[in-house]
Amino acid sequence: MRDASPPRLPDAQVMTRTDSVVSINQLTKRYGGRVVVDQLTVEIPRGAVAGFIGPNGAGKTTTMAMLLGLVRPTSGEGTVLGESIHHPERYLDRVGALLEGPALWPSLTAVENLRVLARLGGHSDRRIPEVLDLVGLSDRGTDRFARYSLGMKQRLGIAAALLGDPELLILDEPTNGLDPAGMIDMRDLVARIAAEDRTVLLSSHILSELEHVCDWLFVIEQGRLVFAGRSDEFVSQTGTEVLLGPLQTSDLLALAAVVADQGFTVGREGDQLVVPVDDGDPRQMAASLNSAAAAVGIVLAELHVRRPTLEANYLRLLEGEAA
Amino acid sequence: MIRTFRAELDRLTGRKVVLAAAVIVLVFGIGGASVVLASAKPARDASGGLTPTIERLSGSGGGTEVFRFAAAFAGTLVFVVFVGLFAMEFSRGTYRTMLLRQPLRVRLLAGKIAALLCVAAVVLAATEVVMWLSARVQASGAGVATTDWVSLAGLGSAVSDYGMVMLWVTGYAVLGMTVAVLLRSVPLALAAGIAWAGPIEHLIGDAWPTASKVFPGLLLEIVGEGGTPAVSAARAALTVAAYLAVAAAITGTVFVRRDVTS
Repeated sequence: MRDASPPRLPDAQVMTRTDSVVSINQLTKRYGGRVVVDQLTVEIPRGAVAGFIGPNGAGKTTTMAMLLGLVRPTSGEGTVLGESIHHPERYLDRVGALLEGPALWPSLTAVENLRVLARLGGHSDRRIPEVLDLVGLSDRGTDRFARYSLGMKQRLGIAAALLGDPELLILDEPTNGLDPAGMIDMRDLVARIAAEDRTVLLSSHILSELEHVCDWLFVIEQGRLVFAGRSDEFVSQTGTEVLLGPLQTSDLLALAAVVADQGFTVGREGDQLVVPVDDGDPRQMAASLNSAAAAVGIVLAELHVRRPTLEANYLRLLEGEAA
Repeated sequence: MIRTFRAELDRLTGRKVVLAAAVIVLVFGIGGASVVLASAKPARDASGGLTPTIERLSGSGGGTEVFRFAAAFAGTLVFVVFVGLFAMEFSRGTYRTMLLRQPLRVRLLAGKIAALLCVAAVVLAATEVVMWLSARVQASGAGVATTDWVSLAGLGSAVSDYGMVMLWVTGYAVLGMTVAVLLRSVPLALAAGIAWAGPIEHLIGDAWPTASKVFPGLLLEIVGEGGTPAVSAARAALTVAAYLAVAAAITGTVFVRRDVTS
């Protein structure tokens, strides 16, 4: 059964309307009887690099398409850059987007494609060399789009999104279909773009790619928001553990008793003890456990704090939702 | 609309497209003139409106009538080209890309069709000139006199024939756009378009004479032919114009209201 409490929106009380680049309220999209996006309420603060996480079919692309005026919401309201999502013509010139992969004209070169898009968006041609350089395609600008690899097509799609020097960049699964090296390149590219003082909304179902670039996260599952907030809050929500490994394996039981005496729950993982951190500072806790072990003559060969990955927390969150 | 028009024009005036268009103009201009002149018969032997007669072609407007006759034969081809040009954007996902730059959808479609028709106008003008020159060279072999072709009346006919063919192309363009926007798939739109403009209308037309006053494809052919004894060109053009207004309204409404999901 779902948690009836509303999704967490940390700092929402201090976030004013003007701080939000994207603000959606109870946004819903139904196709027949199927609810794809279910009463989604989200605020994205200006300057954030926001990750939009959810499994395939969770409603990420549909939500983005509604923000971009491609899909009409069934109900709910929203604003992008202060304008209603029912009037995308009022804000799309300040938004760059790559949705469902780059769709360009295969017989045209990269430069020709960008020129057509610049005309269409009323942007200057002068940005073309600049954006090609930013995505690392300067020397391939005269190649036909059809001859590009998937990674190059994705980068050209991002170059196209950047043509209008947008305040908000919306990228839907930009690493889809890329090999590991391509994914790292793309992550670096997004980090570079984000450093230019833009707001970025980035969707993915590959969490490791978001972990390093996003400072804000939204998690949706079956069209419903299950988390919204700063990524460090999401990562540090639960699951941090202190690991202790005595020099002598024979000290393991004695060490477990010491940890239990300190009031902590203890588990075992091979030749190490695992102590979950419920609250408080994990480093402080590690230091006190080290002192307590030393006091009874146990020498620790290993002592470290293990923080949960985004993926681990995400899976835990989804399991909680399912339960 | 201007932005879309310029963007589309940019795409349509690339070097390769211009070269391809030049080749088509030459082949169609020379080949079309040959076919029309070869099929020309004396008036007493002509069977119907689609058969060019030596007497008509020998008149002052004969040089450009060749162009009008040749164009009328390419009806289905022109329709298919426009269906393909509009439906292809759905298959490639490029409407999505374009709508992110031009979210006002009616303006997007209007700019696109305006640019296509603008290019079509230039291609048709070039074809008319090439065909006139080619027909003049080949006319004597078909027993067609060309002395009246170079006259003011001939120039007037050239303008009027050009206008008729342009109207006819505009009709196919709008109908092609409608089929493409409604079906959103190249194979489906082409299948439906070819089936309708080709066999369906003609088969029904053969069995039911009134069809030529009702069906848009047959009416467009009549416009291209410059009228038939049963339906005048003006009446056909008016009926076609009404069809096009309805088709454009339906296309605009559907394109505005539908979600763009691919």
